[in-house]
Amino acid sequence: MSPDLTLQKVFSFVLPEIVLVGGACLLFLLAAFTKLPRIASLLVALIALVVSASVNYLFHIESQNVDGTNSILVTVSPVLNTAFSQWIRLTAVGFGLILALMFFDECEEDRTAEFLACLLVTISGVSLVGAANDLIVLFLGLELISIPTYVMLYLPKNLNAKAQESALKYFMLSVVSSAFLLFGFSYLYGTTGTTNIEVISKLIPRYSSSDLGNQSLIAFVLILTGIGFRITAFPFHFYAPDVYEGGPSGPVAFLSFIPKLAGFAALWKLIGFVGEAGNVAPDFTKRVMMMVWILAAISMTAGNVMALLQTNLRRMLAYSGVANTGYMLIGLSVWPAQSELYRTDGYRFFASGGDGILVYLVAYGAMSIGALALLAYLNSDARPVRSIDDLAGLGQSQPTVAFLLAVLLLSFIGLPLTAGFAGKLLLFLSAMAAPPTTPLQELFRVLALIGAINAAIASFYYLRVIMALYLRTPLQPVQPSRSVLLLVVGIICVIMTLGFGIYPWPLIQSTRWAAFSL
Amino acid sequence: MLNAEQIRFLLPALLVLPLAAAVVLRLADERKAKWLAVVFALLHLILTLGIVFSAVTNEEEFLARRDASSPLTASAKSGASALPVFVPHFVPGDPLLDGKETSTTRYSVFIISNDSPNIKPAQFFIGLDGLNVWLVALSSVILFCVVLIGWDEQYEKIGSYFSWLFLLATGVIGVFLSFDLLMFYVFFELTLIPVLFLIGSWGTGAMRREAAKKLFVYTLAGGLITLLGIAGVVLFVYDQTQILTFSIPELAQLIQKQLHLVDADKLSGTWRTAQVYLFLALAVGFAVKIPLVPFHSWLPGAYSEAPTGVTVMLSALLAKMGTFGLLRVCLPLAPDATVIVGLPLLGVLGSVGILYGAFCAFAQSDARKLVAYSSISHLGFCVLAMLAFNAQGLGGSLLHMVNHGLSTGAMFILVGMIYRRYQTTRISDFGGLWNKLPVLTFFMMVIALASVGLPGLNNFVSEMLMMAGLFDLRELSWKGLTFGLIAGFGIFLSAWYTLTLTRRMFFGPLKEPVVSSPVMDMTTSEKVSVGFLTTLCLVLGLFPQLVLDTMKRDVDSLAVIAKDAKQRVSKYNTTK
Repeated sequence: MSPDLTLQKVFSFVLPEIVLVGGACLLFLLAAFTKLPRIASLLVALIALVVSASVNYLFHIESQNVDGTNSILVTVSPVLNTAFSQWIRLTAVGFGLILALMFFDECEEDRTAEFLACLLVTISGVSLVGAANDLIVLFLGLELISIPTYVMLYLPKNLNAKAQESALKYFMLSVVSSAFLLFGFSYLYGTTGTTNIEVISKLIPRYSSSDLGNQSLIAFVLILTGIGFRITAFPFHFYAPDVYEGGPSGPVAFLSFIPKLAGFAALWKLIGFVGEAGNVAPDFTKRVMMMVWILAAISMTAGNVMALLQTNLRRMLAYSGVANTGYMLIGLSVWPAQSELYRTDGYRFFASGGDGILVYLVAYGAMSIGALALLAYLNSDARPVRSIDDLAGLGQSQPTVAFLLAVLLLSFIGLPLTAGFAGKLLLFLSAMAAPPTTPLQELFRVLALIGAINAAIASFYYLRVIMALYLRTPLQPVQPSRSVLLLVVGIICVIMTLGFGIYPWPLIQSTRWAAFSL
Repeated sequence: MLNAEQIRFLLPALLVLPLAAAVVLRLADERKAKWLAVVFALLHLILTLGIVFSAVTNEEEFLARRDASSPLTASAKSGASALPVFVPHFVPGDPLLDGKETSTTRYSVFIISNDSPNIKPAQFFIGLDGLNVWLVALSSVILFCVVLIGWDEQYEKIGSYFSWLFLLATGVIGVFLSFDLLMFYVFFELTLIPVLFLIGSWGTGAMRREAAKKLFVYTLAGGLITLLGIAGVVLFVYDQTQILTFSIPELAQLIQKQLHLVDADKLSGTWRTAQVYLFLALAVGFAVKIPLVPFHSWLPGAYSEAPTGVTVMLSALLAKMGTFGLLRVCLPLAPDATVIVGLPLLGVLGSVGILYGAFCAFAQSDARKLVAYSSISHLGFCVLAMLAFNAQGLGGSLLHMVNHGLSTGAMFILVGMIYRRYQTTRISDFGGLWNKLPVLTFFMMVIALASVGLPGLNNFVSEMLMMAGLFDLRELSWKGLTFGLIAGFGIFLSAWYTLTLTRRMFFGPLKEPVVSSPVMDMTTSEKVSVGFLTTLCLVLGLFPQLVLDTMKRDVDSLAVIAKDAKQRVSKYNTTK
């Protein structure tokens, strides 16, 4: 197989992304030359998403043949079409559909088309990150998410000074984080002489046993810094509370989930393989795992403790996002430990860090987008809903919304029969199921314990909201906005939360398919 | 009488019926809510009692396996490899083999992996055995009484109140019925939400929200650590045997089998350490729920702020989830650790609880808090007796769970009646209530004497059994003797504070707080609910044998597990 043939074939792998970007271009053009009604833009966006998902199936060419051999040169190809990339793509498109509904009423009529176009571009970015097999493509994918986000934060109607400040803040910090990421990539390139991730994953383990080990360690520190910003890991989360508080609700819901999805997909690709270095460079592997371990422990604890102090709902959700990132980092930390190297004979996986992250990502996406959509639904200019006190007595005045919100909050707490419980259970199981030969095995159990204690701390502030909903009397009834779509988004998210909570097997099965046929 | 097939079919109804009741009551008209609640509770009571009595008298399934020559006791004598620890009967979804029950189920819920038949899913696995059958009956009885005393309450939104109560009962019954670890945990945690809303919305005190929140966070924190313990046990067994299962009988059996295989040297290594950590993790959640003394600080608030019915549920049923968990989960799944750390640790905490609870009870100025602390004291007794690890101690402890549920439940109901009449339960405000409320005083005296342990009433039987277990002359040890002495002293203290309470409140010259509405003696619904409980106290006091017989086989097998563990530990200690 020649490199040329590979590069020819590669185009078919990114057809879904091309469809999305094409849809975005169409929207941009239509908006520039016609007066596109809001509903038409939504329709175009939804069609683009659906077509992209179906293209994924119709023109489906695996980068691996049935017998496991590669149908292309993976060491050349900048993108791959694997189970993992498809899982990320479909998840991104799925949540893209939900977000599109949420974005519908966010802007003035003549800007909606551009707004939704930006969303399409970001979804294609996430999908590209999932497919990327080259540092450049990976970076491209991440930037395809960032740049439209700056625009999205500015486009909505009635922007006040605070919202503008938050957009600017996000822009500045995002650029800095991208710089860190590139810096890290340059180290990887400098060490291995290539940008192809498949090659890097084979070379880094070899180099890290030599003097170059420290160099690649620096690369991982910088990469974690850069992506840590996107997944709002502590201490790279500082923008999050301000942006959540000031930003328009649609883009905030978007920010709470989509960058995390992309960030974890990227980290999965970049950190997942360090376990294989275990027998040539055990110190290196241990250090990278330890780094993520620390990041996980601090993110959970700091996120939860700071969320305890918040009275503003969106700030609270921002910090809870930091904590939830911490839970997912448990999975990332233990994932290298579950590489083939450490698996003893006959060791079968029933919970690995890898699929734990993916299950929790879906659960978190549903909870977070749902909660933010419901808060946006309740909010109105006449009667803003900002702090916990504003929700007092909602159980009496808006029983349906209060119930939906309560379900999502219980899922955040991680009570059984919600998706949050299934996700947390899998993450804790994965941390405790590290094979016995793994370095840091004991520490992973400690991490699970830290996670459990954190989940209890977290219950405190979610509970405060639930108690405000049901156990207090309303001071002044809320006046929900007329956008029923926000309520629809909330209902969809609640259905997902309960559905995956009560019968999580389909979700678990899909993530395992994604994780182990990588 | 129902046959085995019918029981198997009806068993899920014990969970579905209260769940349905909760939904119906939520949607029903407020005015009809009371009627509906009573009807549902009565239906549930009839169903439960029907199932329980059919089950315990069922020759084929239940009684046949509990004769003296049961395989377990036979194998324990010969020291051969261990055989079934728990044998749940009437399991819905049982894939019957030649018409005989296999004590497994096909109803899978949480599938973890389909890679290999050795990785088994968490299942909807419920059944009846000697340990849970009477606790299930108790749950239904208490639910019925609680609904009855709600009859006279003037709560706002009484429909939702009853709805949450039924949901709480679903959770409790679920915990008792579960034979799957994950399902056990799910029901264990799901009781939190109803309790939160019941105390938060219908509590009587000004601090009700704080009390509810404290209870929720405390129990959740303990529960999460228990969850880690559960995950740890499952994974540890998987490591050793390559079989991943959440089924409690299977896990217990695998652990027994493995423990019989490993020799004393090996026990010092992985098994010993792992078990100790797992035991500690598992026990935390239960210790909070019981509560044992350093974890009890949620209790006084919650018991005194909660509406009467909920306090009754909390003390009579939810606390039993903790002690039951120790028997169902901790002892069979980490037997050696239960002997190594459980005995000293839980023993000391239990003893401290007995004394601390008793003295605190004596110092209380509020009757409700007095009963709350007395509950800590009694449950410390329950835990202590378990640690005697013999059939008398374990059986007595299990019986005491039922008895304590009845007597403390009735006690809280009676104190709640005083509260409803006077809006206070400060002991110093009352005196000589006998003149004013003769019927209430009569019941109070009977219940007080029951809880003190008067022969002929229920607590006497279980307390005697527990004492017999602790003063086991076959294996005399200073630990057992000390615990026995403390327990004995606890019984004395309990007589002291309970009788002091009745003397101060019900005898002497009449003294009562001034209230606007005239104070009436007990209403019919109150009489029915308390009378029912009192009758049961008397019946269990006079005819405890039926209960003891049915729990005998499972108690024996637990005792065998503990005895094996003790032998292993002492063997290890001597070789070291």
